[in-house]
Amino acid sequence: MAPETKLSHTAALILQALQAGFVYGFSIMEMTGLPSGTVYPAMRRLERDGMIRSNWEKQSIADAEQRPPRKYYKLTATGNTTLEAARKRYPLLERLIPSEEVKQT
Amino acid sequence: MTPPGPWMCSRIEGAILSCASCLTPGAQRAEWLREWRAELWHARESTRIDRKITWEGEKAMLRFCSGAIQDAWTLRLLSLERKDARAAFHGSAAECLLILFLLFAASYILARMLPGVRAESHPSVYRVNPNLIMIQDAFASDDSLATISIDKYRAWKARPQRYFDGFAFYRIAKETVVRRGTTKARWKVAHGSLNLFWMLGLPTTLSAVSGDAIGKTPGVILSDAVWRRDFGADPHIAGRVVRVGHDEARVIGVAPAGVWRLPGTMDAWLLEPDDANRGVGYVIAHLTSSGRSEMHASRVEILSLNTDEPNEELCGVSFADRTRGPWGLYQFTLFLAFLALPAVTSVSLGESHFCSFRPSWANRLFHWLFLGAKIALLLPAVYFASLDLAYWHTTSYSIGSQYIQLISSFAMALFGLRWILLDQRNRCPVCLRRVTHPAQVGLAGRTFLAWNGTELMCAGGHTLLHVPALPTSWFSTQRWLYLDTSWKFLFVGSGAG
Repeated sequence: MAPETKLSHTAALILQALQAGFVYGFSIMEMTGLPSGTVYPAMRRLERDGMIRSNWEKQSIADAEQRPPRKYYKLTATGNTTLEAARKRYPLLERLIPSEEVKQT
Repeated sequence: MTPPGPWMCSRIEGAILSCASCLTPGAQRAEWLREWRAELWHARESTRIDRKITWEGEKAMLRFCSGAIQDAWTLRLLSLERKDARAAFHGSAAECLLILFLLFAASYILARMLPGVRAESHPSVYRVNPNLIMIQDAFASDDSLATISIDKYRAWKARPQRYFDGFAFYRIAKETVVRRGTTKARWKVAHGSLNLFWMLGLPTTLSAVSGDAIGKTPGVILSDAVWRRDFGADPHIAGRVVRVGHDEARVIGVAPAGVWRLPGTMDAWLLEPDDANRGVGYVIAHLTSSGRSEMHASRVEILSLNTDEPNEELCGVSFADRTRGPWGLYQFTLFLAFLALPAVTSVSLGESHFCSFRPSWANRLFHWLFLGAKIALLLPAVYFASLDLAYWHTTSYSIGSQYIQLISSFAMALFGLRWILLDQRNRCPVCLRRVTHPAQVGLAGRTFLAWNGTELMCAGGHTLLHVPALPTSWFSTQRWLYLDTSWKFLFVGSGAG
């Protein structure tokens, strides 16, 4: 997908949440307040478009914390570029979910 | 009213997920369920306060689980989109080129694996010294027949010749060979003159034994196949003594596979002095400059070489045919295939049009580039596939393998080129997709009133192809009808550009 691709507000919100460090589905739901029926399908589409990619947590880490392993999502280079463009389109995005760098400062 | 217990709640949620998973594509179902079960665990942990179940919490969990149905449905739709992409790929120019490339790659990889093809791939191995001919009886029907006696060879060699300045001789015999102790084998042995390999300029490997070390023991050169089969590819074979027939011989080298192009398939070459040889065999002669000027064809008549026998009729046969190599043979068959192509299909690309519309320069350029790319992929694929067939069962050169290569490369090149032209005629000039959805148009009984034949359609909505069932003076070849933009709405979502 081209970097200048226009995202929906929901998709932009999910990308922003991912960049802010909310890296699995339920945490994004909690952060954005979006229902599961919106967040997960949106993430499937973003993954199809190559803006995010997923990987499974190691079983040993999950076992140590006595919980099932999570599927983590991460922004790709395309996703980052698209998010930059989306921020210009939706200026409130960063105020809703401050990115990690902003939070540190 | 109290909410159901935790066991019942988790059962209900699990059932919802299982039902929703039925919507997902089978290949992704297990991973999808795994992710949702993990997410459900985290959701449940966050909704239970002090490990107590509340109605509010259970409602939230049900809302969460209902999202799984939407997610599963989305996954199903996305997989259908991928199928659409596959359907768009089907029949496209890229698919055609990919198939041809895969054919080429498969035939090339197989060729690299077959020892016979590897041996044939190095022309330096089977190239013989120039200016050599084989002298035969002029009445021999086949150049693979032995026709010259050792006595004639000795007589020719003893006399100064105008056209020849060197001779070599060999004859073929089946011999019992004792390799080690009492291990016996039957080999096809060429009893050759001492200068046989030197005159032919054939390379040998593992020839570590010098002439002085051999002494009076004749030297024997093993074929690559025998060296591998009977000596386990022993790298220290040079110098070993074997008994060939009644005499002992010392191994002085191994002839690489495919090196021997002269008549006969040998297991070994026993090089011995002329006085030890006998029988009828083959004579190789080296031409002088006068002799070279007389070689006008690959087979020339030779007047008697011996004044004692002025009436003998001989001929000289060039080695050009035997040392042509697979590439030369392939070029010849390719030439024949191009010549024969008009006999099996029309060479026209069927580019006549119903209307004045002409495709753009870019479209026409891509059309020709696509045709060139198909031919460029087909020809090497045919070359390697014909070599694979020719050397599938044999590791060295033989007349039989040459015939197989000749016939297979001709057939594959001819019918491959025919397919390329037929395929090109059925590709939309705009998008290069194959036209599909054939429909019968008109009636055969009304041929002279209106055209009848087959109408095919470009799935991208660019063109219609009309192929007449019965060529007439006013409709003899297929024609393209270009569709204007008013047709576009019919092809929305066809996946073609």
